[in-house]
Amino acid sequence: MPILEASGIRKQFGGVVALAGADFSLDAGAVHALIGSNGCGKSTLCKIIAGSVAADAGTIRLDGNPVSFSDPQEAAAAGIGVFYQELSLVRPMTVAENIYLGREPRMRTGLLDRDALRSQAENALEQFRSVIGTGVHPDARVADLSADQSQLIEILKVLAANPRIIILDEATAALDRNQVDAVFHRIRALKADGCAIIFITHRMDEVFEIADRVTVMRNGLTVLSQPIGQTSHDEIVAAMVGDVMPPARRERKHVPAQETALEVEQLSAAKLAGVSFKARRGEILGLGGLHGQGQSALLRALFGALPLKAGSIQVDGKRLAPKGPRTVMRRSIAYVSGDRARHGVMAIRPIFENLVISLLSRERRVVVQTERLERETRPFIERLKLKFSSLQATVAELSGGNQQKVVLARWLATHPSVLLLDDPTKGIDIQTKEDLYSTMDELCSQGVCILLHSSDDEELLGISDRVLVFNGGRIVAELTGEQRNRQALYEAAYATAPAAA
Amino acid sequence: MKSTLRLSGHRHPYLMAAVVFLVLCVVNAILQPSFLKFGVATSNVAAFLPMALVAIGQTYVVLASDIDLSAGAIVSVVNVVVVSIIEGMGGTGASIAAGLTLGIAVGLICGAVNGLCVAYLRFQPIVTTFATGIVFAGFALWVLPEAGRQVPPEFYLAYAGTVLGVPTVLWILLAAIAFAGVIARTRFYQALRATGGNIQAAYQTGVPVARVRLRAYLLSGLFAALAGLALVGETASGDPLIGGALTLASVTAVVLGGTALSGCIGGVAGSILGAFILGLINNVIFFAQLPFAWQGLIQGLIILAALAGGVVMARGRQET
Amino acid sequence: MTQARMLALLKRPLSIAILAILVLLAGGELLSPGFASPRQIVTLLTIAALLGVVAAGQNLVILGGREGIDLSVGGIISFAAFLAGNVMQQQDAYLLQAVGTVLLATFCIGLVTGLGVTWLRIPPLVMTLGMLGVVQGGLVLLTRGVPSGRAAPMLSRIVSEPLLLGLPGILFIWILIGVVLTLVLRRTTFGLNVYAIGTNEAAAALAGVPVRLTRTLLFALSGLFAGLTGILLLGYTEYVFIGAGDQYMLPSIIAVVIGGTSLAGGSGGYIGTMAGAIVLILLQSILTTLNIPPFGRQIVFGVTLLGLMLLYGRQRRLRG
Repeated sequence: MPILEASGIRKQFGGVVALAGADFSLDAGAVHALIGSNGCGKSTLCKIIAGSVAADAGTIRLDGNPVSFSDPQEAAAAGIGVFYQELSLVRPMTVAENIYLGREPRMRTGLLDRDALRSQAENALEQFRSVIGTGVHPDARVADLSADQSQLIEILKVLAANPRIIILDEATAALDRNQVDAVFHRIRALKADGCAIIFITHRMDEVFEIADRVTVMRNGLTVLSQPIGQTSHDEIVAAMVGDVMPPARRERKHVPAQETALEVEQLSAAKLAGVSFKARRGEILGLGGLHGQGQSALLRALFGALPLKAGSIQVDGKRLAPKGPRTVMRRSIAYVSGDRARHGVMAIRPIFENLVISLLSRERRVVVQTERLERETRPFIERLKLKFSSLQATVAELSGGNQQKVVLARWLATHPSVLLLDDPTKGIDIQTKEDLYSTMDELCSQGVCILLHSSDDEELLGISDRVLVFNGGRIVAELTGEQRNRQALYEAAYATAPAAA
Repeated sequence: MKSTLRLSGHRHPYLMAAVVFLVLCVVNAILQPSFLKFGVATSNVAAFLPMALVAIGQTYVVLASDIDLSAGAIVSVVNVVVVSIIEGMGGTGASIAAGLTLGIAVGLICGAVNGLCVAYLRFQPIVTTFATGIVFAGFALWVLPEAGRQVPPEFYLAYAGTVLGVPTVLWILLAAIAFAGVIARTRFYQALRATGGNIQAAYQTGVPVARVRLRAYLLSGLFAALAGLALVGETASGDPLIGGALTLASVTAVVLGGTALSGCIGGVAGSILGAFILGLINNVIFFAQLPFAWQGLIQGLIILAALAGGVVMARGRQET
Repeated sequence: MTQARMLALLKRPLSIAILAILVLLAGGELLSPGFASPRQIVTLLTIAALLGVVAAGQNLVILGGREGIDLSVGGIISFAAFLAGNVMQQQDAYLLQAVGTVLLATFCIGLVTGLGVTWLRIPPLVMTLGMLGVVQGGLVLLTRGVPSGRAAPMLSRIVSEPLLLGLPGILFIWILIGVVLTLVLRRTTFGLNVYAIGTNEAAAALAGVPVRLTRTLLFALSGLFAGLTGILLLGYTEYVFIGAGDQYMLPSIIAVVIGGTSLAGGSGGYIGTMAGAIVLILLQSILTTLNIPPFGRQIVFGVTLLGLMLLYGRQRRLRG
């Protein structure tokens, strides 16, 4: 009998269907990989199991008995521990305080036993001592830790509750190979103790390395569930992608021009260590590599949203000092983030305002000329096939894909000559992606230079003219022509860390 | 050097408050030679005690990243309830006991109302506690429309007197500090800070965030009630408007003490220092024999500078 | 119109506020015939206009988000009334000069507040609280504790006496502010920028909105509107009172909230705030008319506010 069984789970957020009747079952003493592209519903499913999101429909059985957790406390009491992708750490508090939050050791008097708290944390840290790096001790504040260190602390926090069901939602995303090994070592020990583990990752090699079983989700449904020995890399990828073929080798209408649009020399900033490259007009220059190796940092630094430490930037042969988005946009540079909620839309404001806000800033006019602005943005609305009921409806009513189109249209209306795209297709549907690709193609044929960072490797390889591979804040390879394939990308991306066994 | 400073700043958010406090003490001692005498020190403590008590309660609410703008009104309502009960029951020993008990109960009830509205009904804290504050102040006026009534001499003499040779006000302060010290070593306190630091994370970790916020408001109500009792001892009578100025002063004291309005960082020790700083600024300005007309402006500027300095320092700790 | 749309319309804060105005007027007339007489309504609107003008600035600051709030408006109003009264010295000839001086001075005070909030990144609650102390202190310095200054006759006429259609000038000023502010918010780049930074500051900055400049201006404008309120208040009362503006600080926030502007920023507008100011004044007036003693008025007032919070002041759930 499975230790945990979820069936027919449904969940909608606003108008967006996150789960459309997903099924999942978990055995004790096993690692069950749960994979799927962004927005397929795997994180939502985990949050429902953990009690922090309420399902609209469906049942969850624990040891065969139906359960319904009304909050995370109940799920935790039932032995479910969750590693949250966005981390559930309180940054101003210390490592020890975070690991044992809510289960701090107490003395007989009922008061906290600070010494025990510290020594327990010390013991817990010992498991990762060789890989966690410097500056991590029980009294260090989480705010002072790096992303990978915070992730390891979150793992320790989950384990400190001694859960029998452990959900690891992208628990290895920011970790290097050695750290992953240490975590896997721990997972195997937990497995041997009879724990059941749901393991979510974007790294396929990790699935084959650690998982006993794999379940693939797509569009809120479970589309494949197999013991790891009875499936293959290709079958899993096919299940993730579905009927739609990946945009491999898209027909390109545009041909990059020879003129250089953007030239970057020895650019350094937080997470960037001396990056140099040139990008031409009409070119899509891809920025690839493992998550968070400087791709996003480069785009934000170019746009003035991340302070530079050193380096020079030339746009159309003239020096650019990126003091802030406002100075940069005046040089016809635009930036679109894939993190729509935080860095894209003003969700509770009307679509119209979201569409014209950058154009207004660019033009520096006082009065909002509604009709003229509608006329100027209309071509881009049509080009991107933006669907909406009224320009006065709020952006929050749109689907994620349409929200992304609003942000892109906002910038296209300013007629940029350099377009910085920071993972623009994250969590949006295939059709919207298609609309974005064809728009990018058209922009290139008009001579626009596009820098594209994408966490979707197929997409990156499929639509970029060249791909720069990032690793540790540096460009470690440039892939052109036939080199633009997964093999070459992964070899470069994993260059410093030996590939998985 | 820089890193040690940062580290100590993080361990002791009230370091800056302590330095300002000591500087003010020195200045005060120079301007007022009798400052260090026991009697003067005691009367200073007595004068600053009500604000310090309200600030202690306010600290718990602010640590959870909420705010209590009704604290002053709670002080008022407790003050008049206690005086009225004691006088109404004839000023006997039993009436004093009943007055004290009911006064504290009233404070707790007010805190519970705030907590239920903010934590369980999810009302916005600023407007909610402002509104409940109006209601509480209304009750204070209902109980006692204008300042007056008397408590028996036993009450205020005991407050002004000594117990085992130590002034009563000092005992109260020490008891409050000890109580805060105990609270700071409970799971509740950790949960409180976590709620203020990242409410989503705290919730996902299984912290009962609503209950935690409610308890913070209960503590604020409790300490406001104690301040109301202290004011009965201080003035020997009731005044329905007595707490009015304490609300914003308590917020000022909390921020001066290094507690971040965004929650999680800080503590009661800083707030007590903050309340004493506010009182000492008054003293210093008075004893510096500044022209009366300038006192308000100088005081305002010093407080603004201290608030700004505290916030900028606190941010330095958070961001580095 | 479908039932669902009707219901949605009814749930809009502005509709609730307008409904509340009608109910309060009808209720007032029922309880005390003559309450809703044209003359009485004009008087009430005049009082509401004073609150409405200061609430305009409060409204802007709150719309700008990031816990925007201005606690210094009360002090600025008192300061402005004093300054205006002393510059105009009962002479119409000095009226324009007085208005110019006051508006410039109060704009600058707000500017300093805004710079503290944006460049030093001090939370608005703390910064405006500190500024309140400075302004109050400065006022004591200027007045030497003895208020002086009187309104120019023309100012009093504009505020109190019928100008056109039996309505006093202050109402036209208020309507003008309402029209201009609404147009500014809806039809200018500045207005859209205000909503953008109030909704999502990070996204607004990445869209090219001058975040700091916009927010600084909001506080400066709040100072300006408080200054204008001070001038109008002087015209209404004719004499300068110490602390005349204190009564406006928190009601200005409440009027904004009743009018449907979210304290979280980014949604709402000034028309609602105007309605909110009228609701507040009507409510106060009814409670006075009913001969309810002050404490009862306060309690009903506070409870009503809490009731309004229940209608649209609730914050989102932690659970998805």
